[in-house]
Formats: sequence, structure tokens, C-alpha cells
Amino acid sequence: MKQFFNFCAVAVFLLTMLCSCAGNPPKDERELAEKAFADAEAGKDCDRENYLAAEELLNQARAEINNKNYDKAKELFKAVKEKSDAIAKYYREHPDECMTEKDKKGNGEDDGKIKEEDITSADSSAEPSLDPTNPDMDFQVVHFEYNQYAILEEDLQKVELMAQWMMNFPERVVRIEGHADERGSNDYNLSLGEKRALEVKNKLIQAGIDGARIKIVSYGEELPIDPASNEEAWFKNRRAEFKREN
Amino acid sequence: MSVHFRLITMITVVFACLNLFAQLQVEVKDGAVAEYNMAVSPLAVLDGADAARAAEISSAVEKVLDITGYFKILDKRSFLEKPETAFNAVNFKSWLDVGANGLIKGTLKGKDDIELELAFFDVAKGKEVIKKKYSAKASLAKKSAYRFASEVIKLLTGEEMNFMFSKITFVEKKGDKYALVVTNFDGSGRKELYSTSKTILLPEWSADGQKIFFTSHEKNNPNLYSYDLKSSQIKTVSAYEGLNVSASAYPDNKTIALCLSKDGNSEIYSLDTTTNELKRLTVNSETDTAPSVSPDGQEIVFVSSRSGNPQIYKMSLSDLNKIERLTEQGNYNQDPEYSPDGKKVAFSGRDEKYQFDLFIIDLASRQISRITQNQGKNESPTFSPDSKIIGFSSNRSGKSKLFLSNVSGTRQIAVYSGEGEVLMPSWSPAETN
Repeated sequence: MKQFFNFCAVAVFLLTMLCSCAGNPPKDERELAEKAFADAEAGKDCDRENYLAAEELLNQARAEINNKNYDKAKELFKAVKEKSDAIAKYYREHPDECMTEKDKKGNGEDDGKIKEEDITSADSSAEPSLDPTNPDMDFQVVHFEYNQYAILEEDLQKVELMAQWMMNFPERVVRIEGHADERGSNDYNLSLGEKRALEVKNKLIQAGIDGARIKIVSYGEELPIDPASNEEAWFKNRRAEFKREN
Repeated sequence: MSVHFRLITMITVVFACLNLFAQLQVEVKDGAVAEYNMAVSPLAVLDGADAARAAEISSAVEKVLDITGYFKILDKRSFLEKPETAFNAVNFKSWLDVGANGLIKGTLKGKDDIELELAFFDVAKGKEVIKKKYSAKASLAKKSAYRFASEVIKLLTGEEMNFMFSKITFVEKKGDKYALVVTNFDGSGRKELYSTSKTILLPEWSADGQKIFFTSHEKNNPNLYSYDLKSSQIKTVSAYEGLNVSASAYPDNKTIALCLSKDGNSEIYSLDTTTNELKRLTVNSETDTAPSVSPDGQEIVFVSSRSGNPQIYKMSLSDLNKIERLTEQGNYNQDPEYSPDGKKVAFSGRDEKYQFDLFIIDLASRQISRITQNQGKNESPTFSPDSKIIGFSSNRSGKSKLFLSNVSGTRQIAVYSGEGEVLMPSWSPAETN
């Protein structure tokens, strides 16, 4: 495929066009080229190299219009259309192959740095501990607002993941430990910690887990993760933790 | 009696001032609301008596008078008269010169068996007012001094005080090490009853002062235990799944109020510790906890978040529907504690600066007075058996220590500071023997 769109061929083609000049801006060719290039975007991951080449040609063509080299621009637009059509055609005919290429290449970002990050996150072996089919999955900590026992919205997925894990390992029993920050009396915080653990337990039950497999215990303010007296520490300390009972 | 009259007048003025918040603050800072200047002369040490014991006795007298907030204790270094001066040869002018209104002096004789004489003089009148002689084992020297101090207080203020004969239990926490500790009211005589890395929480005395209830995660569930002070035995009192916390004794010495969460949420129950009969007292989907039983056993005060945030409520034990909310200001009031005279409820509340401070509700007038302000986190108020002094934990000077304050908040002193944090103090009932 890549050979098919050999860069040399493009170069020869362009050279033959060099002598022609003057006339009107190639309006039709431009529209056709831009539309074809836009259509080719879906297949850009199949053949990144040619897609980038088409983009470069398109930019050159636009530059030639500004320079009033209309014939040159016209041929460049034609080349863009040809390249783009070929990319689109290949994508239509080999969508599966394109998927494979896409996966290999990451998520299709142009920037090299971002591509690197995408590869990392797409690589499932990087965080095996959040895989609910893994019996040794790491349990995440659920956080709460001050004096509240509703699970923070962004932490609901942690409970959902836990529910999936418990579904996958029906013989396992877990303990949810509820905690409070240092503010407030010890007895009230014991109740608050328990409310938090209970809230998480209820979410698991709603997700279909047998309540008999979920124990809860409150430690109130007794076991802070961070003993400091500031917002950051308090946030860390207001939590529910999952522990293995068996 | 003019001394009496003068002090009462002064006290009335002080109390009038205390309603004004700003003035309370200034006075707490200065630590000097008291205008009755008391000189406590060092004791004369006679017949081979122990000088250290003599010093201990005079400082015990000073400490007791000081914490009431009614007296300013004068600096010994300013005294002009020698301790050895005979009782009948006191030079009152020399005491007037150092600004004393009253003078306490005494003699100590004997080593193992002591003979302690203490006298209180009205300096302005140039007159001996009380003189006592105590003969006892040396170990009872301090207690003898307390008896004398309480007589002086009664004479000058009209108030009966017995806080000096009682003990305080609290939790000392260092890292993950918890210790259940008992000391005398002044933080002396530390005795460690029990220690564990599995939490010790919310200790509370039985009505007869013979046991201490506390909660521990020893078996990975917060169960309630009792420690018997005579036998040193620990027994499980309540071990339902979930919370078993916040015991408070009924006057019958067998029933306790406590918080359990076995029914899915923190509720208050009464438990007969002899029959294990359980009765649920609150029904609410929000937290109900921290009960404190009134001295007549007819009511409890407790914390409930039924209004959306923790507030203090009072409930009749003969009619569980008779519930009254006691706190309206602030949105985080907790730790309620009935005074043993049944007239007041102390609690800790979060103020506008998000700091926890101590307050007292006068149940008859519903007036709330503030005890602490701008002095760190102040929690777990507990009344002395005479309802005159409040013990609490405060981190105003770094780590949390045991503090005492008079009920007006005008005099506050740290009495115990250990290696770890001092938390959740509870004052014993009055000594019975």
C-alpha cells in the first residue's frame, strides 16, 4: 500500500506540472480535494504516512493559491484528492486491518508525546491491579465530604469495580472500614465512619452482591492516613477502605 | 463575716461580667479574675518530718484554691515572714504588705505517721478563722490538705466542693499505642490500667466508681468492655456487630445507656448489665449517639444528626416521645455531659472559626455560656462530682493535654501531659469511703 503511493511518483508528477502557470484559482479542484481529505480522516490510522503527505500537499496547494500559481495549485489539489481517495478506499475495504493498525499505533494523536501516553494507558498490563478478573486486584479507597456519608461521584466507579470483582469471586468476603477526619468528637466520628462504610456496603448490595459477604467496621478518627491538620490530610482521612476477610 | 461578704460581692460582679464575651476572653488570657489574694506559706517542718512532703502539702492547697478561679495565689518569694513563726505570733502587717487578704500556714510533724496543723487567717482583721489538726498515715497527707482547702473554700465562697477527692480516667495515645489511665484530679498518681494497639475509646465510670467502661477494637469490632478497679479484670459488656460505644451509667449502678449500630444505624439503647436486657430508646434513620444520663436517671442528653447536622437533644426516659432540642446555634454540637447536680449540660461545639470549643447550657434558663475560645481544639468536657470544675482535652499548647477549668471558664490550667495525646477524659463520681 505504501509503495503504491510512492513519494517518487508524486515528485515526478509535480515536476511535469512546473511549466504551466496563470489562469483562475482552481475552485472545483480545491473543493473536491478538501472534501476527499476530510473523508480520508477516518482511514488516517491505516496509513498515517500518506495521510500526512496528503495534508502536506494540501497545505502546499493553498500556499500556491496565495502565490497565484493556480495551475500548480490545481495539480496539487488533484494529487491531494487522489491520495485521499486511495486512503478512504483502503479504509472501506480493510476496516479490520485499520483497527489493528490503530491499536498498534495508539489513539491517533499527532503529537508524539501524547501518543506515548496513549500507548501507556492502552496497555492493560500497566495496571493489572485494577482488573476485576484478577483475584489479586488492588482495592481502591473511597472518599467523602466533611460530615457527609454520600460517596463522592468520582469515586462511585471504584465501588462499581469492587462489585464486579466480588461478582467474579463469589467465595470472597470483604470488610469495609469506615473512617472520619480528626474534627468532631470521637463518638460522633465512630457513627459517621460507620455510616460511610454502610453506604458503600449498600451500593454493593444494590449492584447485586450478597450483604452477607460484606462486613463493616468503623474506626472513627482513630486511624488517619495523614496525621496533619489541614484540608489535604482531612480529605485523605475521610474514607472507606476495602479489606479482604478471606 | 466581711471576708465572706466581700468575696461573694466580687463573685457576683465577675459572673455579671462573664455574660459579656469579650471580657471573658480578656480575663481568661490574664488568668486573673480573682481578687482574693491568698498567701499559702510554706509549712514549718518539725521533728524530722519530710520537707518534700511538706512542700507537696502546701502546693496541693494552692492548686485546689487556684483551680476554683476565686483566688489569686501569691508568689512565695515575696513573703516577709518565716514559715516557723508560731500561729499566735503572725505579723499581719507583713502579710498586708505583700497584698494578702488571707493567709494559710501550718506545721508538719512525723514521718510515717504525720501530724499536720493548718490554719487560715483573715489578714485584714488580724484574726485566726480556722485551725485544724490532722493525724494520719503519711500517705493521707495530701488528702488532709484537701479537706482543709475545701473548708476554706466553703467559708469564703459558700460553695461545697469535693472535686479534689476524685479521679479522672482518660486515654493516652502515642502512635498506635493506646493506654487506659487513671490519675488524681490534679494529674498526679498516674496508673495505667490497660494498654493495646487496638484502640481504647471513650472511657466512662460506673455509678459506684468501681468500674470503667470503655470501647476497644481488640476483636476487630468496637466492643464495650468494663475494667474492674478492684480485681483488675476486664469483661465484655456488649459485643453486638457494629458500634458498642459511649456508655453512660444510670444511678442504679447496673443499667447503662449506650450507642449500638446493630440495627443498621447508630441508636441509643439502655442495657441492664446484670440481665443483659436491652431496650431501644431512639428510632431515627440518622445518627443518635453519645448519651449522658441525668443524675436522677430520668432523662438523657445525646447527639443526633436528625436535623442534618449534629445537635444536642434531651429525652425523657419515661416518655421517649418527649424530645427537646437544646442547641440552636452552630451546626456541629456534640459531646454532651450532664452535670452531677442535674442543672447543666456541657458540650463541645464548632464555632464560626471552625474550631471546637466548650460551652455550658444552664437547663433552667437555657442560657449557653462559653468556656473556651481561641485556645486550640477543646473537647470531651466532663464535670467534677460537685459540678464545679470541668475536665477536658485541649491541644492549645501543641499535643493534647488534660485541662481543668472552673465552670465560668475564668481559670484554666493543664494538669497532666504525657508522652502521647491525652484524650476523652472522664471524671469519677464522688469518693464514697
